[in-house]
Amino acid sequence: MNLYLNQIGAIIWKDFVTELKTRELLSSMFIFALLVILIFIFSINLSIVKASEVGPGILWVAFLFAGTIGLNRSFMLEKENGCLMGLMLVPADRTTIYFGKLISNFIFLSIMELFILPLFMVFFDIDLLSHLGPLLIVVFLGTLGFCALGTLLSSLSSNLKTREIMLPILLYPLLIPIVIGVVRMTGQLLDGIPLLDMMKWIGLTASFDIIYIGVSIMTIDHILEE
Amino acid sequence: MNQETAEGLEEESSILIWLTGLAFVAAMAAIFLFVPTEKTEGPIQRIMYLHIPSAWLSFFAFFIVFISSILFLWKKEREWDIYAYASAEIGVIFCSLVLITGPIWAKPIWGTWWVWDARLTSTLILWLIYVAYLMLRAQTDPGSMRARYAAVLGIVGFLNIPFIHFSVLWWRTFHPQPKVISSEGFGKGMDPSMLATLGISLGAFTLLYFLLMGQRVRQEKLKDEIDRLKREKLYSS
Repeated sequence: MNLYLNQIGAIIWKDFVTELKTRELLSSMFIFALLVILIFIFSINLSIVKASEVGPGILWVAFLFAGTIGLNRSFMLEKENGCLMGLMLVPADRTTIYFGKLISNFIFLSIMELFILPLFMVFFDIDLLSHLGPLLIVVFLGTLGFCALGTLLSSLSSNLKTREIMLPILLYPLLIPIVIGVVRMTGQLLDGIPLLDMMKWIGLTASFDIIYIGVSIMTIDHILEE
Repeated sequence: MNQETAEGLEEESSILIWLTGLAFVAAMAAIFLFVPTEKTEGPIQRIMYLHIPSAWLSFFAFFIVFISSILFLWKKEREWDIYAYASAEIGVIFCSLVLITGPIWAKPIWGTWWVWDARLTSTLILWLIYVAYLMLRAQTDPGSMRARYAAVLGIVGFLNIPFIHFSVLWWRTFHPQPKVISSEGFGKGMDPSMLATLGISLGAFTLLYFLLMGQRVRQEKLKDEIDRLKREKLYSS
């Protein structure tokens, strides 16, 4: 078990070192998410629409689009220099690659989200601080689900000829349930409804996370197979 | 594939063709001659006998994709990959038919082509998932990689259905819509003649599924056979 965790840790560490050296991913994800929010602000009239009604949707669309950049990058980087082959040659269980990538994607996306949330608060004039705790739980559930399915599908799409196009086409329809869930929950939180009143949405998103991590563990062997 | 089994298959499929043809003639007769016109909706309501069977057929086809995908990953036999592929194609065609006949029916009855009702939304998402499945297959070269990737997506996609169902259902309960879906009349108890017509139509469509499936599977197998022969002849000469 310890060895297994060490192997996962090594993959995460490797991703972090690469990111620290190149500094490409986080900055581009952040700027892209910011741009998405800006474009939405131009396309709606905030003096007519209530910010807490449209805000959650825009926030999550920004997370989703920026996250897709991260996912595309995560396996493409491995493909470029044949690093994926190297990872697969390591005498370790293939699920370590999945978990390593899942966790590093999750951490990168979370860091980006932590930078976006204050800006969101400023742009939309919404007070996030009063319900920060429940909001972070919702963000956690949503991001985990996105990364769970996203990591599986990006490991798959990285081997296709048109990988940047195919990943969103494969991923977005499957993500609709969890997006509906987190947007609803965020919206209700901003309206002051306590998180405990939304148990069914929490149940839906949490079971989405668990089921897709489980399915990924079972199927990743079939994807990472040469 | 040897000569005898090929002939056997031929015979089987010709029986199925006749059966399906007869079932469709019966269904058409029932829809246009036998069943009485619905009182409030008028003749447009007859589209139900195509709409519901198409929906049933596409869900059934996607279920077969799911089962075949699991069996493929388990047994790694090309047979299951062919079944999943053929079934996904049929499912997408009939799901498209549902999405086309739905608005045609909705326009005169609800006064609008589309409402973001739970059932319509989930059918549209389902269609998108399986179109993506077919695109994935089109993007990859034939071989074990394509089969494995498609199987993973077939499993992941089908497991998404319960999530889609509940999320769009709860999504809409916050914005109540006119109770449109009940106009299908399922809950209200249908006239026996209508139920019988729907039954015949369902039967005809199910037969059509097996017919299309058989043809498509045979076609795919012949393709494999041609590929094999080509390779054999090319290398031996």
